[in-house]
Amino acid sequence: MGTHPSDMNIDIFFCQQIDPAQDLNRRVIEKELGPRIKFFPLPCSGRIEPLHFLRALESGADLVFLVTCPEKACRYQQGNTRARKRIHYAQDLIQEIGIDPERLVLVMARPPLPQAIDRLTRELLTRIPVKGHSLLRRL
Amino acid sequence: MKTESQLKKVLAADHFAVTAECGPPKGADPEAVLKKGKLLKGYADSINVTDNQTGVVRLSSLAACALLRQAGLDPVLQMVTRDRNRIALQSDLLGASALGIRNVLCLSGDHQSFGNQPQARGVFDLDSLQLISAARQMRDQGQILGGDPLSEAPDLFIGAAANPFADPFLYRVLRLAKKVKAGAEFIQTQCIYNLDRFFDWMDKVRDRNLDREVYILGGITPLKSAKMAEHMSSRVAGMDIPEEIIRRMKAVPAKEQRQEGLKISIETIQALKEMKGVHGVHIMAIEWEEIVPQIVEGAGLLPRPNL
Amino acid sequence: MITAERKPLEEIIAMISPYRKILVVGCGSCVAECAAGGERETGLLSSALRMEARMTSRELETREMTLERQCVYEFIDQLTGLVDQYEAVLSLACGAGVQAVAEVFPQIPILPALNTTFLGQTKEPGLWLENCRGCGHCRVHLFGDICPITRCAKQLFNGPCGGSKNGQCEVDPEIPCAWQLIVDRLEKSGRLSQLETVYPPADWSRQQGTGPRKIIREDQRN
Repeated sequence: MGTHPSDMNIDIFFCQQIDPAQDLNRRVIEKELGPRIKFFPLPCSGRIEPLHFLRALESGADLVFLVTCPEKACRYQQGNTRARKRIHYAQDLIQEIGIDPERLVLVMARPPLPQAIDRLTRELLTRIPVKGHSLLRRL
Repeated sequence: MKTESQLKKVLAADHFAVTAECGPPKGADPEAVLKKGKLLKGYADSINVTDNQTGVVRLSSLAACALLRQAGLDPVLQMVTRDRNRIALQSDLLGASALGIRNVLCLSGDHQSFGNQPQARGVFDLDSLQLISAARQMRDQGQILGGDPLSEAPDLFIGAAANPFADPFLYRVLRLAKKVKAGAEFIQTQCIYNLDRFFDWMDKVRDRNLDREVYILGGITPLKSAKMAEHMSSRVAGMDIPEEIIRRMKAVPAKEQRQEGLKISIETIQALKEMKGVHGVHIMAIEWEEIVPQIVEGAGLLPRPNL
Repeated sequence: MITAERKPLEEIIAMISPYRKILVVGCGSCVAECAAGGERETGLLSSALRMEARMTSRELETREMTLERQCVYEFIDQLTGLVDQYEAVLSLACGAGVQAVAEVFPQIPILPALNTTFLGQTKEPGLWLENCRGCGHCRVHLFGDICPITRCAKQLFNGPCGGSKNGQCEVDPEIPCAWQLIVDRLEKSGRLSQLETVYPPADWSRQQGTGPRKIIREDQRN
């Protein structure tokens, strides 16, 4: 079948506006899943850069999530739209070097906010779109 | 024996002139040109030969004109500035004159991206107005651009195209004035379907007395089918085909659409004959040259003057 | 600015394949402005190339650096002493920068990571438009400050051609007809009479030169 999610290295970039108590809430998951899961809070998802994704993969992530605020709910208006464009750019780029673009996953949090980051993360982990480690990890 | 431009003679004698167009083959066979020439002989005063139209490589206009000249016709050399620089263009004007070709139509040309050589470099060293000026300078002052004298000036009747239907509309008459200023002696317009709009343009042309300074020949392209009408209307830039014309073509069964197209052409020509300031027609029946005799006859333009 | 675009990764990978130790150098000027070769893009490209090498079991060591400009000796000189430690330099500069660097360090291959495209403006973030062709004889003021050489597909000085439709160029409906723009602008500002002049042929020798052009200013030299 595939590698169990708990075997995969997962990086989660997410907009802080989704969960103001994220600092506290993520500790639960971090304790449970250990060093395989890493959280990167952003002041706005629009601050993501393609470089963040590449660095995450280069450092060993098998899967990188980008969690944005719901449609039209971005505090800075265009942030989540920009985030979407940037993840697409990164997906196209990694595809050019043979990495499955589905290893970068865009998730739009469902309203209403706030959403506890640990609960959100558990939900994400049930919807892993790719199987196995990234090629990088295998070598 | 001195060759003269038949077109110029006909226009100068105040006759309603008829010119037709002939597209050279996509090959080296001279017969293809001569065949079309034979078809059109006696039905037009002069015959235009297109210059790698739409950027598709064809037998050169200059060579085709030379063939038609040998066959006793009066060709109009179409010359685009897309493919040749000023050295080549001026050289070809001298060559044309030496071959007895007496008419030249100066154009910029369709962009190379449309043709079968889209990777070609578009030259555009000159534009059509600059070519008109250069031709006039060569003929009237016996000089090439820059002033060097010619040992013998070319003998050419110089023309340009005009499109009353392209944008920007208000500017189109100014543009004609500019071409006249640059030295154009005759004008062939884009094909006319919208007589109202053409009349509008002619009105403004007459206001500026341009019809007295330049000979204007209205363009005619017979419609082969309703599909052709629709295609031209939507795909070809600078084309104005009124809804009623398209409807008229559609209203007739497919087999009879050519006849309808022929009828429309004849009606248009008859309207142009009545329009003040229009000195003739230019029939562009590309790849349908066989229809020209019927159009000319149907419009009561036979026999062509023998001057 | 001069605009450029990153070459397809496949092409860059093929270019660097003979080398195991590469200095990747970005440029902070024009190419940074058009998001092709600045510090960010340099980091991005290097990361991608390193990962690709790992996945294909190739040895690749990279170091990243971004110069303020790669077309000025003063800045290129910052690479002195460093360049010798590498087998090749992958430059994210425009063609001018790549060659300028190569002149200072002729002993090492300088590989171009970008395809240099045109002179243009940043119309808005993420949108760059060509507006100058470096003809060497600027007369845009005669045409309502819209360059007919750059923006007219046929470089007409006495346009428009017969293919202008709805203000669009016949070549590409996404491109406005430059002459429509010129006529509109001059008309709005009451200067349409400027177009009554039949503009004579351009002196293209000012653009083509007799080979590559140069400018010398003795007052600026040492």
